[in-house]
Amino acid sequence: MVLADLGRRLSTALRNLSNATIINEQVLSEALGEICRALLEADVNVRLVKQLRENVKQAINFEETAVGLNKRRLIQSAVVKELVRLIDPEVKPWQPVKNKPNIVMFVGLQGSGKTTTCTKYAYHYMRRGWKTALVCADTFRAGAFDQLKQNATKARIPFYGSYTESDPLVIAVDGVETFRKDNFELIVVDTSGRHAQEESLFEEMLQISNGIQPDNIIFVMDASIGQACELQAQAFKSKVDVGSVIVTKLDSHAKGGGALSAVAATKSPIIFIGTGEHIDDFEVFKTKPFISKLLGMGDIQGLVEK
Amino acid sequence: FWSKLKKVNVFASKTLTAEDLRTGVETMREHLIAKNVASDVAEKICESVSTKLAGKTLGSFESLTSNIRQAMRDTLVMILTPKRRIDILRDVVDAQKARRPYSITFCGVNGVGKSTNLAKVAYWLSGNDLRVLIAGCDTFRAGAIEQLKTHVNHLNNIFSEKKMEMIELYQRGYGKDAAGIAAEAINYAKDKKFDVVLIDTAGRMQNDEPLMIALAKLIHVNNPDLVLFVGEALVGNEAVDQVTKFNQALVDNARLHSNPRVIDGIVLTKFDTIDDKVGAAISMTYTTDKPIVFVGIGQQYQDLKTLNADVVTEALLK
Ligand SMILES: Nc1nc2c(ncn2[C@@H]2O[C@H](COP(=O)(O)OP(=O)(O)OP(=O)(O)O)[C@@H](O)[C@H]2O)c(=O)[nH]1
Ligand SMILES: Nc1nc2c(ncn2[C@@H]2O[C@H](COP(=O)(O)OP(=O)(O)OP(=O)(O)O)[C@@H](O)[C@H]2O)c(=O)[nH]1
Ligand SMILES: [Mg+2]
Ligand SMILES: [Mg+2]
Repeated sequence: MVLADLGRRLSTALRNLSNATIINEQVLSEALGEICRALLEADVNVRLVKQLRENVKQAINFEETAVGLNKRRLIQSAVVKELVRLIDPEVKPWQPVKNKPNIVMFVGLQGSGKTTTCTKYAYHYMRRGWKTALVCADTFRAGAFDQLKQNATKARIPFYGSYTESDPLVIAVDGVETFRKDNFELIVVDTSGRHAQEESLFEEMLQISNGIQPDNIIFVMDASIGQACELQAQAFKSKVDVGSVIVTKLDSHAKGGGALSAVAATKSPIIFIGTGEHIDDFEVFKTKPFISKLLGMGDIQGLVEK
Repeated sequence: FWSKLKKVNVFASKTLTAEDLRTGVETMREHLIAKNVASDVAEKICESVSTKLAGKTLGSFESLTSNIRQAMRDTLVMILTPKRRIDILRDVVDAQKARRPYSITFCGVNGVGKSTNLAKVAYWLSGNDLRVLIAGCDTFRAGAIEQLKTHVNHLNNIFSEKKMEMIELYQRGYGKDAAGIAAEAINYAKDKKFDVVLIDTAGRMQNDEPLMIALAKLIHVNNPDLVLFVGEALVGNEAVDQVTKFNQALVDNARLHSNPRVIDGIVLTKFDTIDDKVGAAISMTYTTDKPIVFVGIGQQYQDLKTLNADVVTEALLK
């Protein structure tokens, strides 16, 4: 499973904590050290890891807290709470609504997997009976339209694009309009890869977003990304209204922790994960069940609410 | 960061112990990780800096900080400075003398920029009056062939004032065996007197056995002059696993009587997207001990540079 390695290490650290005969500052600090190391090796943002360590330390004041079981439970619950905070933005994921046009725009860094994921996403809904379509608003990347066209054709999803029009805004608006008229329920718009350092690319993204007024913007993130994720995710969020995250390439060896800072930075939940290059290498992601599975704890809900 | 270190200055003349260095080195490790150096690489670098400094006697006015900083700088520059320089233009001339095309294979995980940077290399070579054949050996990903076609058209427009067409695409569409197409392309290049063959391969995950075996086959059958691993500067801890497994796949799947091959060099892409978080350069070179031959700094053909070890080191220490 995704992030499984990380999950195993975290739950081992927590278990060590519950097995320790006495709980003192040293035991806590060792457990925290192990947790932080695991998080850093999984590419979780350094700042977020530091914050986690501080928050847990603060939650547990050794002089004041009671002895024994209570303290153990307190520590566990503080750690779990912080971990949950990393993954769970506590926002209800956006859902398309049947029998009306839902416009979804894909954005992200170069090569993160937008075009591939667009088709997977449309296909997922098409198989569940939605009338879906794809729009290729990437006029920059060489062969972008052919890529989307070949994917869409294989999946039998209607698509819109152009070899001659060079303005992505024009294509996006025309494409969305065309499919809207034909009563499509889910219109998925693919855009070029871009990054925060190039302002004109960000401006273009804003123009497209303003032009098509999407119901949801999905930020696509590669699971192997490291410490640069936060700055990029923040920049995307501050330019357009990102509402969901999809993490791709989780079929690799990557633990995907870098992408978690995209969750923190965009305050948006992960809704799907990509696990391969084929169209059905795609899984629905639900935050809460994921966390309990991740930590291998049935009673996580109890721990968090205490 | 360095201001935090100042607190551990040693004022009297003193022989450094591992204990004296502990806090400083720990701070440094965190600093490197924040710059996107892979955790265990950061760890090992810090260990080696610590070993280098332990036992050293500091003069009364020398600070621990400046000593750590200097040792760190030396170590980083050394990691980034190649033991063996790769001079493609010189090697192409040698191949020309032998009346055969010089060939380069680009490989790496999905979406890192193999095809785009291959096109940039084609631009650079043609600018040096070399005729380039691009071999479309990504027969899997949708649009991969059309992507290369588009680049070849653009590039030939750019070089339209030259006497002959500088760049051509050799392709056999989708679904075919990549190793076979590469072999055909190299033969074609020999017949048509191309100077260089650039072989584009499909992206693959380093843990995907069948695809890694297929890549090793392509390389062992065709024995290209240069095998370049393409990795993106955005990658975090995965950098280590990627380069290690690509290398290992070539070693493990070597064929009897073929030259033993490993990755010869690295193309580090998307360097324009990471500000000062340049740690992937360290993770990759430390792990492979291979030079970064090119750095991709954008999506235009001119956006291909060589690595400046001093600039990268300064960014890491900042
Ligand atoms: N292994 C694996 N590969 C993936 C996954 N998702 C996408 N890819 C591959 O990643 C590469 C890049 O995917 P694209 O969909 O072209 O990425 P993009 O974000 O549209 O790229 P640009 O438009 O250039 O910014 C392709 O080789 C895809 O096949 C995944 O979940 N797993
Ligand atoms: N900003 C930036 N983008 C780059 C750079 N190099 C490549 N890209 C972009 O990264 C995306 C993916 O590039 P490709 O060349 O298609 O990557 P690839 O490795 O061939 O992908 P697959 O063949 O699908 O595995 C494209 O949008 C490129 O324009 C670079 O140096 N800087
Ligand atoms: Mg795309
Ligand atoms: Mg490619």
